[in-house]
Amino acid sequence: MITSLTRRQQPKIPEDRHPFLDQLEQLWRNKTAVAGMIVITLFVLTGLLAPVLSPHDPVDASLYDQLKPPIWEEGGRSSNLLGTDDLGRDILSRLIYGARVSLLVALATVGIGFIFGSLLGAIAGYYKGFLDNIIMRFMDILLAFPHILLAIVIMAYLGPGLRNAMIAIGIIYIPRYARIVRASVLEEHEKDYVTASKAVGSRDWRIIFVSIFPNCLAPLIVQTSLSFASAILDAAALGFLGLGAQPPTPEWGAMIAMGRSHILRAWWVMTFPGIAILLAVLGFNLFGDGLRDALDPRLRD
Amino acid sequence: MICDNIYEALVFYKDESTALEPGLAESWEISPDGKIYTFHLRKGVMFHDGTPFNANAVVFSIGRMMKNRKLKFHGQGWSVPPQERPPEYWVSMEMDDTIDSIEAADEYTVVFRLKRVEAPFLANMGMDFADIISPTAFVKNPKEFLRNPVGTGPFKFVEWIKDDRIVLAKNENYWDKSGGPYLDKVVFRAIPENSVRFLELKAGNIHICQFPNPADVPLAKKDPNLKLVSQPGMNIGYLSFNHTKRLWKNIHMRRAIAYAINRKAIVDNIYQGMGQVAKNPIPPTMWGYNDAIEDFPYDPEKAKLELAQAGYPGGKDLPEITLWSMPVPRPYNPEGLKVGVAMISDLSKVGIKARIVSYDWGTYLKRQREQPRDMDLFQLGWTGDNGDPDNFLAVLFDGLASPAIRTQWKNKEYHELMSAGKQTIDQAKRTEIYKKALQVFHDEVPAICVAHSTVVWPMRNNVMNFKLHPTASVRMKNVRLE
Repeated sequence: MITSLTRRQQPKIPEDRHPFLDQLEQLWRNKTAVAGMIVITLFVLTGLLAPVLSPHDPVDASLYDQLKPPIWEEGGRSSNLLGTDDLGRDILSRLIYGARVSLLVALATVGIGFIFGSLLGAIAGYYKGFLDNIIMRFMDILLAFPHILLAIVIMAYLGPGLRNAMIAIGIIYIPRYARIVRASVLEEHEKDYVTASKAVGSRDWRIIFVSIFPNCLAPLIVQTSLSFASAILDAAALGFLGLGAQPPTPEWGAMIAMGRSHILRAWWVMTFPGIAILLAVLGFNLFGDGLRDALDPRLRD
Repeated sequence: MICDNIYEALVFYKDESTALEPGLAESWEISPDGKIYTFHLRKGVMFHDGTPFNANAVVFSIGRMMKNRKLKFHGQGWSVPPQERPPEYWVSMEMDDTIDSIEAADEYTVVFRLKRVEAPFLANMGMDFADIISPTAFVKNPKEFLRNPVGTGPFKFVEWIKDDRIVLAKNENYWDKSGGPYLDKVVFRAIPENSVRFLELKAGNIHICQFPNPADVPLAKKDPNLKLVSQPGMNIGYLSFNHTKRLWKNIHMRRAIAYAINRKAIVDNIYQGMGQVAKNPIPPTMWGYNDAIEDFPYDPEKAKLELAQAGYPGGKDLPEITLWSMPVPRPYNPEGLKVGVAMISDLSKVGIKARIVSYDWGTYLKRQREQPRDMDLFQLGWTGDNGDPDNFLAVLFDGLASPAIRTQWKNKEYHELMSAGKQTIDQAKRTEIYKKALQVFHDEVPAICVAHSTVVWPMRNNVMNFKLHPTASVRMKNVRLE
């Protein structure tokens, strides 16, 4: 209380300022979050503009040009800046298209987790009792598995492929969202505006999604940003195991797997996709941390 | 690989060819009409469990696989336990249509009577499925025999730890005293990853490494502790079609694929030059090879032309097709997935959209046999068993002979040539028949022959006398360590 009092006494900040602007400013002042944001922006732009940016077709094999080194190494050449892989495909182009694949996977999996997780969590939190028990115990079961193992089990059932990988990873993200939303809904449910809404005679779904849900968004946004990072990582892991994107799709994890057998002869084949994964994951993590600092009042000084 | 050292058959293949030499049978006679084979057996041979090897053991071993068992033992015989289903090879070699009866004429003479003339019969008797097993061990527990093999070979079975290792020990009482076995113990380790297996060899943890990544072979050449053994493989890696689908009944579609794929680039860069582009489905070292055939050149323009003739100019209206790619290295195809990726890249250049489909090896083989709708093209291959063209041409491509044939291509002319080939004894005449069949094959393109690979295995310098066999059998009998 004392801190908020001192802040109110500062003349520069107007009294009726929207908390969102406050949070935005907080975010902007956080250097690491800005760095994360820059990486994410680059990543998204790369994914969106892949056909414009990439110098070659990412799946066009040119067998006689296999394992050409990057331009600064001896034997490198300007047409393949980062060298070629074991089928003579341009690594830079594959990385650029790989950004698109990773972006797609991240959006789809987080989308699945967000939508179904929020829905289940909201229902559990709002109705409580028996329904809550059923849903949350099921979520506990899902959480009890090591998550990549669960993804592999689901993939084994669905069969390998990028679409199925998105479904599998999406499913393992459902419990995280369900828990967060349920906790927030439980908290909000007791507040006056909900009682008021009930008194006016609103239907349940309106109370849940129009009144309560917008007030639960802050932790969800943080979770979403962090989930992007782990979704990229999980997709790469499945790709590496040969369960995710099938060849010749330029997917970073699969690229590492393909390059693994050449590690002694051609380090660039698996190094660059590794760096790409690292940067993308780092970007989302930094940004997510910054968001948490900005959105969670408890973490403020 | 394991059976090659535990078991033996009536006839042997020579060390580095498929020429026949006496095995458990010292000599044999064939009746003038080609329907009665009399084998005179070697005396003084014992199975690893002490059971004496004799005519009754032969009648038991081969006879147990027959559907209608017309068997006659000499003196006290064996009661042959029923079998759930016949072995796969027995079926695909059409042995039930070949063998009529087996009879032990005396202690060391066996007479096979055939239902029909079968030119490759003698060579077939040297194959793994015709190995002679110990009746005592089999009768004791037929279901578990597979896991406790007992034969007459130079090594005996010790233990099998699944997915890890199989251990064999020297057979001290081996009948042939002229050579090995020299090794006290042989360990076959299962190391699935090509590169890991090679690293184990480099580290000295194993002595011989099969199927290295072709790209690792130059590294092995440079390593002073390693040497290489190579052998032009008696094999074919091919790409075939799902002949049950209407799309692939169209010969122009098949030809379009044949022209579109740059097989030379695949052999040069994925096989790393260890092989040759194939124009016949049998290797050039085999009799019957038709050198007069003019191979399909790599010609995208011609491919486009064929595609247009098939009714899909520029690939318009053609649905995305699937290309099944092998998940495991085989002698005839070192890296199926890479070959698949190179192929679909070639196909996209002529306007054919394709995607890779792959399963684990067991599923791949099983589902392929079902000719599912979601399979358009598939990679497979073959390493010959007995050096007879019949063992490639009929077994792989004569879809009319049996639904078990992997390429369900049904061509009457080809089928008749295959039957004629089996029932002609004279090799010169058979050569002509197979040459003609290969011409039909080329004209109809039921499959695209990709490559005959050269099999190269690296090993430690101190391994002596290890030779590769064209049938891919692995014989440890004469191998020594220095």
